[in-house]
Amino acid sequence: MKDAIISWKAAGVSLGLLLVIATYLVKPLGVSTQFVVSDAVVAHKVAPEFAENNQYLSKYGEKEDWGVGYGWMLVFGMLVGGGITARVFANKQPEADKGSMPSLWKEQFGPSKLKRNLASFGGGILLLFGARLAGGCTSGHMISGISQLAISSFIFGAVTFAVAIATAKLLYRKRGV
Amino acid sequence: MTLVIGFLIGCAFGAILYLGGASSYRRILGTLLLKDMWIIKLMMTAMGVGTLGIYLLDLGNLANLSIKPAYIWGVIAGGAIFGIGWALSGYCPGTCVVGSSEGKADAIFTLVGALVGAFLFALAYPVLEETLLAPANLGSITLESIFGIQGIWIAAPFSALLIFLAFFILKDRYE
Repeated sequence: MKDAIISWKAAGVSLGLLLVIATYLVKPLGVSTQFVVSDAVVAHKVAPEFAENNQYLSKYGEKEDWGVGYGWMLVFGMLVGGGITARVFANKQPEADKGSMPSLWKEQFGPSKLKRNLASFGGGILLLFGARLAGGCTSGHMISGISQLAISSFIFGAVTFAVAIATAKLLYRKRGV
Repeated sequence: MTLVIGFLIGCAFGAILYLGGASSYRRILGTLLLKDMWIIKLMMTAMGVGTLGIYLLDLGNLANLSIKPAYIWGVIAGGAIFGIGWALSGYCPGTCVVGSSEGKADAIFTLVGALVGAFLFALAYPVLEETLLAPANLGSITLESIFGIQGIWIAAPFSALLIFLAFFILKDRYE
């Protein structure tokens, strides 16, 4: 199996340092809250009454600052930084990491794009519903949270990995893995 | 200014995830099928460096910590739902943003699903608040607050353990 463009060591050390820098300058890394902020910004614009009356959305994306703060700019930066890097290094990316139809998925579930995209869409719904219920995702809860030795994040990490491993094994059970 | 810092940190975050192969389905599923240890090692290294760095900052009161509260039922239920979504899509909220920036259709579908998921959570919030979020909330506790000793004494050995496991114990692949 061919490696990525940089090694896991290089990526891990730089991600760790980035987390320390972020914690020093503003606060630790986090992503999932910004999906709510994005929803809230739209909701406040499209259906302001509904947004005001919703206990959760009313906390985010208010008129004064549109709720677009540090965290949202961070996620927007990921889109820009990831996008630029992806274009610059496109020919260095291993073939197996390219495209929207992973060969592993194709072997197990066939070449239907609809199937893959539906699974991704459904997966996305569960990701954010779960992340908001738990209070964070892989970056905020796992990487940032465990690095702060937070008990909630150790619990989240353990449950998430256990359930994700079980789900993956179930999805790919016919392969005998 | 904070907005600019956020944007720049985000750019670096996105670039690292892309360059390190974290937005790759085969890597994530390889990890979850317990075959490919790449992502695990990457995460353990990041947490090793992060834990030590954060608690060194904390010694000088320079760390802007953000400890998530331990409301047991919500964290467990949310973690379980998240885990299913993670295995199904092959992305997490951060890597689906990076995958979308690469133009991967499955990542974009995950991203849109995630926006819908956040909205559904907002609708269900009043009920969930009463049942899963408010009860059994132990607050923002950490290993530091439980043991009542300076965090660096826990952070340093924990960090050394993570780095040791990632660099010397775990193999790259298991068959």
